[in-house]
Amino acid sequence: MKPIVIQEQPRLSFSRTVWIAVDGIRYRLFRAAVTVAVIGVAVAFLMNILSESFIKRAVAANTRDRIARSRLVHQWAARLMSPGDAEGLLRELAADAPGAVAEAARFGGLTAAEAETLRATARRAARLLDFLGEINYARRRQLVHAYTGVDALGYLATADGERSFIETLNRTAAIRLPFSREELKALIADWPAARGRLDRILSGRRAAVARLAEARGGRSILEALAGAEGAFGDEIRAAGFAFDAQTAAPEVAAQARRELDTRWIERALDVRVARQMVAQHFDALPGDVTVMQLWRFVASESNAARFLEAMKAAGEGREGLTAERVVELAGFRREASALERAARLTVGVGGGWMGLGERLSWLLLVSMLVCAIGISNAMLMTVTERFREIATLKCLGALDGFIMLMFVLESCMLGVVGGIAGGLLGAVIGMGRMLAAFGGIAGGAMPWGALGAGVAASIGVGVVLAALAAVYPAFRAARLAPMEAMRVE
Amino acid sequence: MIAPAVQPLAAPVAERRVLIRTVGLKKSYVKKGILTEALRGLDVEIYAGEFISVMGPSGSGKSTFFNMIGALDSPSQGRVFIDEVDVAQLTAEELAYLRCQKIGYIFQSYNLIQYMTALENVTTPMAFGGVQPDEARRRGMRILEIVGLKERWFHRPIEMSGGQQQRVAIARSLANNPSVLLCDEPTANLDLHTGQEILDILVRLNKEQRVTIICATHDHRMMNVCDRLMWVRDGRIERIARREDVKIEIGSIGGKRDAAKASKEATP
Ligand SMILES: Nc1ncnc2c1ncn2[C@@H]1O[C@H](COP(=O)(O)OP(=O)(O)OP(=O)(O)O)[C@@H](O)[C@H]1O
Ligand SMILES: [Mg+2]
Repeated sequence: MKPIVIQEQPRLSFSRTVWIAVDGIRYRLFRAAVTVAVIGVAVAFLMNILSESFIKRAVAANTRDRIARSRLVHQWAARLMSPGDAEGLLRELAADAPGAVAEAARFGGLTAAEAETLRATARRAARLLDFLGEINYARRRQLVHAYTGVDALGYLATADGERSFIETLNRTAAIRLPFSREELKALIADWPAARGRLDRILSGRRAAVARLAEARGGRSILEALAGAEGAFGDEIRAAGFAFDAQTAAPEVAAQARRELDTRWIERALDVRVARQMVAQHFDALPGDVTVMQLWRFVASESNAARFLEAMKAAGEGREGLTAERVVELAGFRREASALERAARLTVGVGGGWMGLGERLSWLLLVSMLVCAIGISNAMLMTVTERFREIATLKCLGALDGFIMLMFVLESCMLGVVGGIAGGLLGAVIGMGRMLAAFGGIAGGAMPWGALGAGVAASIGVGVVLAALAAVYPAFRAARLAPMEAMRVE
Repeated sequence: MIAPAVQPLAAPVAERRVLIRTVGLKKSYVKKGILTEALRGLDVEIYAGEFISVMGPSGSGKSTFFNMIGALDSPSQGRVFIDEVDVAQLTAEELAYLRCQKIGYIFQSYNLIQYMTALENVTTPMAFGGVQPDEARRRGMRILEIVGLKERWFHRPIEMSGGQQQRVAIARSLANNPSVLLCDEPTANLDLHTGQEILDILVRLNKEQRVTIICATHDHRMMNVCDRLMWVRDGRIERIARREDVKIEIGSIGGKRDAAKASKEATP
């Protein structure tokens, strides 16, 4: 007769459990593959959005920077041609550009302390102007009547203006000044003096502009700036502008020369032989030839040489312009249009969560949600459809811990495989799409570190979500008596 | 081991030990607000080493009774003692040990694990019991040979007929040499010949290894091999009788023709 002696069931070793879990996956390979695919797709979706966001962010920063730098010559041309107005000067001072304060002091004949006070006032004034620009028209009307820009500040500085402004502020709780009342008071008190100084600086500038106009004689400002590394640069500094000989001058000069050459080449379309040459190359009517076609035509050195030859023959030759230079200019032109395109495509990127901009952050949030729901749905399904199996295993003597461990291991394995596949796939698709959209700009600005972190994070998301989504139903089933688990639907 | 909570009642057969005892066993299910009483107060004593058949019409509560005495489900009321130990007092680990090592189950719906082969189904309880894989495979093949499925060890349940699945379920119940075998209609899907073979296996286990066998059945051949019979109706025990007494009745009344015929066929 067999006696019944009840002991404790031994725990299966970890490695045995791993083997049983692996066996389980092997037996249900197709089902596991489907689950992995679902996890993979969910993670790939998340990673795709993430990688595109990162790349767009990098591209946006990169292009903005480069576009700003490529406009340096235009900024200087504008500054040297006109003294500007009080608001422009105010913002220049508030923006804290290097040398701006010293330059203003020179033009206005201010002491260093006066210039410093002026800058502090300019900062406050700029903030107030920004604030007035952002609130709606009716409110602005209540606060400063129809005045705009520095005139609004002038109105505030009158006794009437100040009183009505403060009263409106007190009356309307919804209007929030971006700074304290004390600062407002200080600004209003300082404004008349500041305004006088601004005017003095402007008249100083006016004199400098006139002096430079004389110095460049009949040349256009671009032609003059093409020589900014030499005499004209000294002239600019002598007139009082903060035009750095080491950093600004060479760049401005190079850009000016490039601009002049570019304009000359584009004007070549007015020359009949050149137009015909391009038309022939593209098999188009001469009347339909565009500037972009011209640039594409001269991008090869042999074409560029032929082009220069023809122009010379037509009596329109240009000194010092070689075929290599033309090809180089075509390259610059291509780059510039790529930059413009990139800037257009990344409008709205920046700020928001992780500097991704509102649209991308929202997209990312939605993709995370979709990913989470997809993975937990897949895992919940695979576990709940196995409740009978869990019950049977319990009837055969499986411990609750074993069942939980088995499901956690299984879901981790599925999560790792799906996460790695999906993460890499999403990153590759994202990079491919961004390379197609931005070309070399994306290639150069590829944020490898952020992408790597993104892949790691999305694998982590895949594994953790899969494990969590499996643990909960497995725990529920393992806790029940076997036959109760069998009955759960 | 936990001390017996209740002193055994006076057993009808004095030298026999009570192995399983139920006291006021009740089980009810609530589904969609409707209460189904599957068991309405069962008091039974099953002796160590006996072969008892449980009979009763469909829906009378046989499977529910099995789940209770097999420690697979908890009763709504009443207690189950296995070897004088209250099952409700056992820890999860002890319950697992009991289910794994001491009780063998043959479920009415087999409950084989669909993605495992016949051999793996049989070796799973051994794995839980800590038997090494090689040893488990060897023993599994031997048991499959006993139930006549040695050649089909690599088949999955869906690739086997109902009867073959049933035999895998029987093989699995024998995996860890249990002390008690709970069989829920073990011959329901088998032809006469195979059914007889299974019965012979059960009888041999009972006689040679003194395994206690509790067997729900509609198969009247069971009457020829069991020690006692128990009739269940509507969740209550209708009657418990020794086989000798029942056979005399059937012989004298001759009412249940099929039953009489079946017992004649089976009796040499
Ligand atoms: N999960 C459940 N929910 C509700 N009622 C149930 C449940 N399981 C069983 N029952 C009911 O309990 C009663 C007993 O069922 P049980 O399965 O024990 O019958 P049985 O005697 O094994 O029948 P059969 O010979 O057909 O296998 C039946 O009336 C059945 O409807
Ligand atoms: Mg039943």
